Amino acid sequence: MWHENIDHANVINRTKTTMRQTLLRLPTRNSVWAFRASRPAQIASTRRSFASEASPSPEVYDVVVVGGGPVGLTLAASLGAARTTSHLKVALIEGMDLAPIRNWSPKPDYFANRIVSLIPSTVRLLKEIGAWKHIQQNRVQSYDGMQVWDGMTGARVEFDWNKLWGGKDEQTDTTIAHMVENIHLSHGLLKAIGDLAVQPTMIDKTKVERIQYGEMTGQLDMRDWPVVTLSTGQQLAARLLIGADGGNSPVRTFAGIESRGWDYDRHSMVATFKIEDDSAFPKFAYQRFLPSGPVAILPLPGNFANLAWSTTPEKVTHLKSLAPEDFVAMVNAAFRLSYTDIDYLHNLKSGVVEETKWRESVTQHPDPPQIPVRITEVLDGTRASFPLKMRHADKYIAERIALVGDAAHTIHPMAGQGLNSGIGDVYSLVKSLAEGIRHGQDVGSSFTLEPFQSERYLPNNALLGFVDKLHTLYGFESGPLVPLRSLGVEIINRDWFGLKRFLMSQAAKS
Amino acid sequence: MAASTTCLRCLRSRALPAASNRAFSVLNRPPPNYPGHVPLTGPERLFLAAGSALMSFIDPRRGDMIALLGETTAQPFFITRLRDTMLRHPTGRRILRARPRITSQSLSLPRLRSLPPNTIGATYVAWLDREGVSPDTRADVRYIDDEECAYVMQRYRECHDFYHAITGLPIVREGEIALKAFEFANTGLPMTGLSVFSALTVKADERERLLKVYLPWAVRNGMQAESVLNVYWEEELETDVGEMRERLGIEVPPDLRTARAEARRRKRDGKTTTTTATTAAAGTAPTGDETAKVETEAERAEREQLEIERKAMEILEQADKM
Ligand SMILES: Cc1cc2nc3c(=O)[nH]c(=O)nc-3n(C[C@H](O)[C@H](O)[C@H](O)COP(=O)(O)OP(=O)(O)OC[C@H]3O[C@@H](n4cnc5c(N)ncnc54)[C@H](O)[C@@H]3O)c2cc1C
Repeated sequence: MWHENIDHANVINRTKTTMRQTLLRLPTRNSVWAFRASRPAQIASTRRSFASEASPSPEVYDVVVVGGGPVGLTLAASLGAARTTSHLKVALIEGMDLAPIRNWSPKPDYFANRIVSLIPSTVRLLKEIGAWKHIQQNRVQSYDGMQVWDGMTGARVEFDWNKLWGGKDEQTDTTIAHMVENIHLSHGLLKAIGDLAVQPTMIDKTKVERIQYGEMTGQLDMRDWPVVTLSTGQQLAARLLIGADGGNSPVRTFAGIESRGWDYDRHSMVATFKIEDDSAFPKFAYQRFLPSGPVAILPLPGNFANLAWSTTPEKVTHLKSLAPEDFVAMVNAAFRLSYTDIDYLHNLKSGVVEETKWRESVTQHPDPPQIPVRITEVLDGTRASFPLKMRHADKYIAERIALVGDAAHTIHPMAGQGLNSGIGDVYSLVKSLAEGIRHGQDVGSSFTLEPFQSERYLPNNALLGFVDKLHTLYGFESGPLVPLRSLGVEIINRDWFGLKRFLMSQAAKS
Repeated sequence: MAASTTCLRCLRSRALPAASNRAFSVLNRPPPNYPGHVPLTGPERLFLAAGSALMSFIDPRRGDMIALLGETTAQPFFITRLRDTMLRHPTGRRILRARPRITSQSLSLPRLRSLPPNTIGATYVAWLDREGVSPDTRADVRYIDDEECAYVMQRYRECHDFYHAITGLPIVREGEIALKAFEFANTGLPMTGLSVFSALTVKADERERLLKVYLPWAVRNGMQAESVLNVYWEEELETDVGEMRERLGIEVPPDLRTARAEARRRKRDGKTTTTTATTAAAGTAPTGDETAKVETEAERAEREQLEIERKAMEILEQADKM
């Protein structure tokens, strides 16, 4: 386990500042291997060159992607869009039905509960592969400011360009992230895949049931090729098998790659709300660190907002069981009342509205835009929750195997980086494959895959470690670390050493 | 977005409420947060705390100084913690919500006198009668900034006489000190802890008893018992004292009076034997003068000791009334 010897803190220090630049930076217009969204059909004639169709079963593919989540779909779209990899014969297998995503159409006055924040580099890639143009911009909310504070001491970092000396200039794009519904993103990705000249084989509503090594056939020695057996009985042999199959990755299990980490004993509660008119304020992302976990409100277009509240499973159960108006009161309280009060309110089965009205009248708290405006209504059926964990695979590659996205690493969502780093993996992997092909290498060989792993592993490890330590640091209700963490936050917030401006421009640039 | 930028600036300038705990100077003292409130700057607070500590020692009858000491040392940490203790308890929350005040109007003293003697109400009023105080003698809180925390301090003061009633500690010096220690362990208010230092001034044998018996009892019970602030005394006037003690988790205190009587008896017995011995010695030796001189010195020491004790007792009494 070579990576276990790595000094965590050291890695974080060394890579924290350069991480965003080096690892998440995605292609720009003048990158050496520019993407093209669609390409002429004649390329289709060359597409079989890498694959052999000699044996009737299993069917042979250059690349088999397991998992049609956002990362798997981005991968399929990127492989088809990048010139060097567009001729590969690709199959994507997804256990669930993709039809609802394909046929998704937005309901006015409604936003789904699963929403993801996409950092600028992710959006850059989505533009290059022709997916971003399928995203309806009136359902995307970007923000360039954040309010983050400590629920115990009130120490706060404000990331607000208008408040920094000099303000923002016209040239720089100061956007920190764009909020998009997961289903909207996947819908756009499926459309981008539909636009490709060479279509990958999309197999949905079908599970991968078994993966084993192939056999010696007439023409090919497939004994080191993974062969995937689907729930339909169909078999696919892969020159390269890519696991984009989420946290419980069957591909990773097949490859015998250990994944290490822990469960947080925390769930993340999500929901979508209507909010009071906030047109007088900038659209900010808000996060308050409570000892049980951070609670965040993220902006959506119009008078909507999204919740991500990480807390104990018992408290999540309580939040789900509350009447809608009590739940709304509870969330408003989470940004206004003391932790003692919030903790107490979790014991109430009803009457939260009443109780919080009284408590808010005797509690001093900041006003918007330092805290979110009041939420007024929770949209029906949008309350849901997910268990939180931290996992990192020992390695991302093996012979003819690669892991991307949550299959390779699962992170606490407080920094909104899970999907973004998964898409960073995709960019890096496609780049490595293109490079390998250009040098005449087998796409599945570890020579081809190695650059991907060496580019992604350490930055992901640093990010995982950093977020994990934040989780621990803010888990303390009292003790010596509480004033210390507030001091750190003060130093950043006062823009000493230009630290804040640096962080903000890094976030916008990434 | 661009058009709204200027207007955002003006909005932001009044975004932060004039939170009372933010720094200000003597010249622009913010308005009071509640009637009677006096906002203090950090240095003022420090000065008043030190000054009131000194004054309380010089003149222990200055109950106002002891009250001031109590308030200036409680903020911000201790009183907030005590408030949170109440917020975590359903009854404590109810009290904070209703903010009941204890006055001679809110409690009908004649009715309390008519209750059976083992009830909290009767014990409480018996204590008031003996001390010749009324519920109205408590000073108003002025120097705690947060209105709710100020109420907690007020409540602590107004309920003080109930603590006497339930702990059942006798009204002698050691009992008083033990009660202060109990309150300190139970509420965490620094002033109650400071009062315990007057324990240093009591006679050596009393001190030993305090340290061996009463303080351990007080600290143990103060810590393990439910907070006394979470009792809605107004609703418990007819409750049996023993039952309340059980509910709060307070053990019956070691019987001070018996212990004292016991000690006094032992001492008297001891003295008698020494006196006999001395008389016997006087009969044989010609040093009657020397013996007289030694006795005078002992007497002076005794007198000084008594003076210190009186002062300590006065501090305690005032602290008790604050
Ligand atoms: C509450 C919450 C909030 C989040 N917010 C953010 C955010 O703001 N920004 C951000 O970047 N990230 C965020 N994330 C993380 C992000 O959601 C994940 O990182 C992302 O979904 C990972 O995508 P993926 O495609 O790798 O995995 P998944 O989305 O898990 O997709 C895996 C797919 O593989 C399929 N599959 C699995 N096994 C099989 C099989 N045997 N056969 C066939 N198919 C199979 C599954 O059906 C699934 O569709 C958040 C996560 C949570 C829980």
